[in-house]
Amino acid sequence: MKEFHVSKGTHIRSNNKTSRMMFHLLIALIPIIVFAWYKNGLQPFLNGDATFYGMILPLLFVGVSTLTTFLVELLYGVLFKKKRGMDILKYPIETYSFFPGLFLGLILPINTSFPILILGAMFATIVGKLVFGGFGHNIFNPALLGRLFVIATYGIVIGEIGGYLNPSELDAVTTATPLTNASLVNGIGTYQTLVEPYGSLWNFFFGTIPGAVGETSAFLCILAFLYLSFQRVIKWKIPVVYVLTVFFMTFLIGNYHDLGIWYPLFEILSGGLMFGAVFMATDPVTSPTTPVGQILYGLFLGILTVVFRYLTPLPEGVLTSILTMNLFVFILDRIGSKARFNFVKSVIPFLIAWVLILGLGVWIGSSHSLPEEGTDPNYTIESKQVDGDTVTYIVTEKGYVGPIRAQIILEHGTIRSIEVLSQSESFYSRIESADYIDRLIENQNNLEEYDTVSGATVTSTALKKMVINTLNDYRVNGKEEVEGEEETVEPDFEVLEKASSGTTTTYIVTQKSFGGKTRAEIVFEEGQVSSIEILEAPDTYQNTVIDADYLEELINASDLNDVDAVSGATITSGAWKEMLASTIEDYEGGADEE
Amino acid sequence: MMIGIKIPGMKKLTNTKKNGIYNKPKYVYIPLISQNDTNITIIAKKGDYVYKGSVIGKRKGNLRIPIHSSVSGTVVGFEERPYLNGSIVKCVKIENDFKEKEEVKKESHKTLNHYTKKQFINLIKECGIVGLGGAGFPTYVKYDTDKPIKTLLINAVECEPYITADYALMMEKCEEILEAIDAILEICHIDEGIIAVKKNNTSLIKLINSFIGTYLKIKLVEVPNQYPMGWERNLIKQVKHVTYQNLPIEKGIVVNNVSTIYAIYEALKYERPLTERVVTFTGEMLKEPKNVLVKLGTPAHEVIESLGGYKRNKNIRFVAGGPMMGVAEPNDDLIVTSNLNCVLVLKEGKESLPSECLRCGKCVSVCPAKLSPVLIKDYLKKPERLKELEPNRCIECGLCTYICPSKILVREFVKEAKKKSREG
Repeated sequence: MKEFHVSKGTHIRSNNKTSRMMFHLLIALIPIIVFAWYKNGLQPFLNGDATFYGMILPLLFVGVSTLTTFLVELLYGVLFKKKRGMDILKYPIETYSFFPGLFLGLILPINTSFPILILGAMFATIVGKLVFGGFGHNIFNPALLGRLFVIATYGIVIGEIGGYLNPSELDAVTTATPLTNASLVNGIGTYQTLVEPYGSLWNFFFGTIPGAVGETSAFLCILAFLYLSFQRVIKWKIPVVYVLTVFFMTFLIGNYHDLGIWYPLFEILSGGLMFGAVFMATDPVTSPTTPVGQILYGLFLGILTVVFRYLTPLPEGVLTSILTMNLFVFILDRIGSKARFNFVKSVIPFLIAWVLILGLGVWIGSSHSLPEEGTDPNYTIESKQVDGDTVTYIVTEKGYVGPIRAQIILEHGTIRSIEVLSQSESFYSRIESADYIDRLIENQNNLEEYDTVSGATVTSTALKKMVINTLNDYRVNGKEEVEGEEETVEPDFEVLEKASSGTTTTYIVTQKSFGGKTRAEIVFEEGQVSSIEILEAPDTYQNTVIDADYLEELINASDLNDVDAVSGATITSGAWKEMLASTIEDYEGGADEE
Repeated sequence: MMIGIKIPGMKKLTNTKKNGIYNKPKYVYIPLISQNDTNITIIAKKGDYVYKGSVIGKRKGNLRIPIHSSVSGTVVGFEERPYLNGSIVKCVKIENDFKEKEEVKKESHKTLNHYTKKQFINLIKECGIVGLGGAGFPTYVKYDTDKPIKTLLINAVECEPYITADYALMMEKCEEILEAIDAILEICHIDEGIIAVKKNNTSLIKLINSFIGTYLKIKLVEVPNQYPMGWERNLIKQVKHVTYQNLPIEKGIVVNNVSTIYAIYEALKYERPLTERVVTFTGEMLKEPKNVLVKLGTPAHEVIESLGGYKRNKNIRFVAGGPMMGVAEPNDDLIVTSNLNCVLVLKEGKESLPSECLRCGKCVSVCPAKLSPVLIKDYLKKPERLKELEPNRCIECGLCTYICPSKILVREFVKEAKKKSREG
């Protein structure tokens, strides 16, 4: 008797297997892991900045994170999926449980302590994956959720012990990550401010810049992208569209300030964008499956990244963009599946994307200004008082969180004291414990070369800049006083002209109003207002006020307080009443003056 | 546009061998089915003597196509036998007297083009000619139209792996096929005939080119070696660069399989009904894979035994049809019918169980009907949304199942969705 097996489906299968795809993904990650080890462990060790433990730390770091997610799913398999025997080990391998941990290890700051790392990896697997039902069912990228958790809960703690900086960078590079540095100038700056502190764009390309453990090398990410696309493992459209969108938008923004092609390159080579685009945005489970869906996904990832970088206090944007777009995968796929039959059905989302790309590019470009050469847009002198040889400044400088306000006293051109009046910095304790301010005073003649406080780089840099800017001001403007508030703020009301002939006094006055300054001629006859003529009113609703016979009402009123404002033009009518009241006050106060 | 993908052809097993003939079945079992319609008027009765070519049944309804006996002999009864779509069908069992007697001895015609179009349509209807590519659709219907036919497209692509029946037939009957095409063009006033062949079939292309010179209206077009290149929509798009709504005739095109053309040749030349066809018997588990000319109604296992049988009797898979679209049968009693182009016997390896879908989107990118199978699978739980994914466009080519890295039987989900969306 012959035995024939019956089964549905096709009778031949391609050799394409999930395990094959994951294998290639692992191969593509190896150079990145090796580079992460070289950059954060081996090189600092060879430089003498790290101990032996410091040398193997990056590998340990990635290893612990990987092992954690593996063990969590192993445990899950035993407890909830009732796996026994060899299946106990097979289960976490078949669910590719090690990938979230591996990725998480590569996208966290190297100074994350192990307990936090393990917590983050557990969060990534449990909340990112298992809560949704395990492999294939999760909505959000688990590794990114893990990182969001770590940064949101322990970001400050990690920052205090060095954040993203490896031992060599802590010693030598006196700045934070490129994008944090860029955020000090609202994202737009010259090559000197944005790129030169880190060397050249080649450093960005090869990855020898501060950043998360394994995401700095754009070069290796591009290599991995080419390899994975060639092996047909990743959805290549997503990273291509994503990176090009960011490039194009930042090109528009940079072009507005004649910044040249280096600027968009700087933007796409910073902030782990390449790593995020190649490895995180293409995570198969959490990205669209249809071609049109993938292209839209890439476009909106790019738009969101630019929005986060320029318009929110989050300088990086990649992580947040991907997690946000994860939510819309379902909708993008619906659009994408319909677009396969009829492309017209996807025209509206494409139109929206392009309007946003062009609109935001131009708008951010025009609304964000490039700081002028030699001046610091984040520095302001509130007041400057001169008393003999002593000059007292009240100045502010933008810090990491908000403005830092300080009083700086100079004697004979030398700083005698600095007193911080207000600040809201996260890591200010480090500044204090380092006696940074006293050391700034000590080193005031050599500040450009003076080191910042590691772990509070931005704050210390801001303080340093504040001192440098103040010294510069003294050098340029000397003892020229700067008054406080009063002088800088223009008065609301002003008498421009006043002429009397007999019993008639004619005023030309201005009053700040809704759309700008209102200029009017007000004539007094025998102590009474006889006419008001509006000479100039850039307001929008001035005609509403005039048509309402409001001026007549004002002239005839015995008490101005009884005159109601004109509805629909409250500000304008109020301002005019104010103007008249001020003029009357002036007239009555100085009736006898010429 | 997505045509399909390249998949290993596996055609070497049979395409270098000489064709065999198996015409000695003791009994033939003529299934009372046309396409998938079992609504057949039975004409033959138990005990009747039938000639080769005698009408033993006729389809009811609009497409009254006759069913012929493939041998001469006695009707011994009615039995149920497996049909290629996996179902069991009532068959007329005829005992072969090996005399090959025909009711009226017909002369062969010198020329093929002496028919009017009406006569031609009637002839191929009465000869029971149906699409031999697999669909089994009555061929005369395609010609029975008031719309002008501009192009006759001959589908000789045979894109499914392992199958070489059309190829083998063309290698043997190239002249006859060209002659038949030329006659059809003239009878039906068709402007051109295009033979579409896969570009890697070099020896066939050479052969056709050596004969085609005298036929000015017939062109040979080479198409890419991709699956499913032979799908009508794909082929027309590739060759004529047009798309259509429902039927190719909208664009003045009639598509016939090349084996169908040969059946038409036999009808035009000898007025002979369709009683035999070339079937590819292939697969690693057959001792001697071969293309065999088989009488319709022959049980497949008889042919396989004549080829030396199976390499082993256990852990094998018996497929009616090709590896992509064919159906695995529980036994080898399958009856050869006009729409059976291949019998495939494969070894049954350890099949890996389907794992979780990782949403890689491969099934979407390979689908020639532009479906999104991964979403269709998700939407099975939401039937109200299923319609917008248009699962009834599915041509069941199997590429989604073939490509799936998680080894999910994707096509079965789409077929289920197709069913659901038709019901709901």
